[in-house]
Amino acid sequence: MPDALRITDLSFTYPGAPDPVIRVRSLTLAQGEQILLTGSSGRGKSTLLQLIAGLLDPSSGSVEIDGTPIHSLRAAKRDLYRGSKIGMIFQTFNLLAGFSALENVMAPMIFSPIPKREHRDRAAKLLNTLGIERIHAEPDQLSLGQQQRVAVARALACDPVLVLADEPTASLDPENAAAAMDLIQNACRERNAALLCTSHDPRTAERFTRRESLDQLADAPTLTNAGGR
Amino acid sequence: MAITDLTIVRRSMQVRLFSTVTTILMVGVAVALMLTLLTLKDATRNAFSRGTGNMHLLVSADSSPLVSVLNGVFYANPPARPIEWTKYGQLVRSAPWEFFIPVQQGDSYLGFPVLASTPEFFSKFEPNDKEPWSLVEGRPFERAFEVVLGSTVAKSSGLKLGDSIFLTHGIASSRQLGDPNAMQPHVHTDFKYTIVGILAPTGSAHDRALFTDLDSTWIIHAHDRRKRDDASTQTTTVEDLTDADRKITGIFARVATRPGSDVSAAIPSTAYRLRADPTITVAMPKTEIDRLFSIVSNIDKVFIAMAVVVIISSGISITLALYNSMEQRRRQIAVLRVLGSSRTRILRLILAESALLGIIGCILGLAVSLIGGQAGAATLKAQLGIFLDPTLPLRPTLLVLGGTTLLAMLAGIIPAIMAYRTPVAKNLKPIA
Repeated sequence: MPDALRITDLSFTYPGAPDPVIRVRSLTLAQGEQILLTGSSGRGKSTLLQLIAGLLDPSSGSVEIDGTPIHSLRAAKRDLYRGSKIGMIFQTFNLLAGFSALENVMAPMIFSPIPKREHRDRAAKLLNTLGIERIHAEPDQLSLGQQQRVAVARALACDPVLVLADEPTASLDPENAAAAMDLIQNACRERNAALLCTSHDPRTAERFTRRESLDQLADAPTLTNAGGR
Repeated sequence: MAITDLTIVRRSMQVRLFSTVTTILMVGVAVALMLTLLTLKDATRNAFSRGTGNMHLLVSADSSPLVSVLNGVFYANPPARPIEWTKYGQLVRSAPWEFFIPVQQGDSYLGFPVLASTPEFFSKFEPNDKEPWSLVEGRPFERAFEVVLGSTVAKSSGLKLGDSIFLTHGIASSRQLGDPNAMQPHVHTDFKYTIVGILAPTGSAHDRALFTDLDSTWIIHAHDRRKRDDASTQTTTVEDLTDADRKITGIFARVATRPGSDVSAAIPSTAYRLRADPTITVAMPKTEIDRLFSIVSNIDKVFIAMAVVVIISSGISITLALYNSMEQRRRQIAVLRVLGSSRTRILRLILAESALLGIIGCILGLAVSLIGGQAGAATLKAQLGIFLDPTLPLRPTLLVLGGTTLLAMLAGIIPAIMAYRTPVAKNLKPIA
């Protein structure tokens, strides 16, 4: 079974910048594995996640998702591949305004090969599993914690092999942050989805047995380890 | 039910409801304006073609054929110059006519013109092609001093069968009639007319007229002449009429044609031959109406051009609405990209939204022009007796609707390109 994520000699330099903002010699994430990526603010954690998701093109190196070099895919195929293989969770949730919780979870499915007749039941079941009862409520009618759950459900909607969580608890109070991390980690574990989470919250760091900083990744030859907590 | 691209478009429109509604209204008003102008253009022409009916030629002593038609068929003014009855006798023998009906105008009732003619006016002349006269009540005039009312006259005056009226010399304006200080027109009070029939609406100017026989008209004017000559004159009859009293102002003529045919090669040649007589004017009414519309067609073009400008403005409003919304929706676009949407799909979504704004605007405009057209036509018919067919002309309507939708889609191109180019990474950053 291929690794969920394999990064080799990845570098990214913004146009006009003298030095690369991202340098990762090597990073491998097995199926279902969980890792916390740390780094000071502005160090490039979000940029790395966008490189992994194929939203940015690297200056050099490669990123394989489930055995496929994502940047070798043509743009439209890459977008579809991202939709079906990668789930993303954001600090500000980025739920679609005007869409209900249910529709937010169904949204990624329209870009996936999942049969249309399954979309609704699948999304409703996922929301139910994550404790959202008001599935027809719009995001602004839900609490922050509930919005986070909807965002998690959306990230997992297409059964991704990899979930990228970019500072997922930064908008939440400590109690809700802990609950959200429980939710994200457990949900990924139950679906055998690998999790790459960025955070600079020490309490979040404690939840991961495997933690890497961007500085280490730039130097380390190969980094593999057992799953998260 | 699964969500689709259309769901995304609909939600996007709902989120910006005010902008969506105002843009749709603008497109709707533009389309309704355009369709109304197109309908009016055809309907007015059709309305003007009513009234000439099955006549081929209109003979008068007016200054030009167009004036002759305006006066003789549309009652614009009483013809100023009469035709002598002896001339009528010569003309009726000049060609094989299917009908050659003398008419005389000059009197009025409550401002409505009175047309005097012979019984053939009702039995042979049809006010509209294949639509003979139809009476709601009563019968056509048969004897002297009987009068038949057009539908609008009957409705406006409230007169009914058996009522008596006096005719006024000339056409008195309503202002004259209502103002005691104005110079009052001469009323033929010595001769009472009895209403014997009320006509069904024809959708022509004839609805605004009264119809009586020629002898009565000649008698009341001969009586005035005789009273001027001899103030003791008590009454006047047909026997008192002189040749000079027998005057007409027009002749409704139809050249003999084969049964079932409305045209004949003899029509232009007959008209040409009659025009050799300098004392008369010979008009082919349908040709004159076509000429009238060719004169005013430039005004039509100006109105249509204005409507096109309004439609283009509505297209610009779509561009502006979508352009202004781009700032708000960059994050949504970025999220959709993350979820798996390609750039081209985003481009298609914006173009679809733009087209949908146009399509809904078209439906609204179509509904407004259809309902408004029906209501307007019903009001015109009820209030003024004017028949306007509110049916939308099919081809121009499809052209307007298709063109507007295409324009709406084109209006979305710039915002769609902006959406296509939306940088994902930049727009996923948390809002400060």
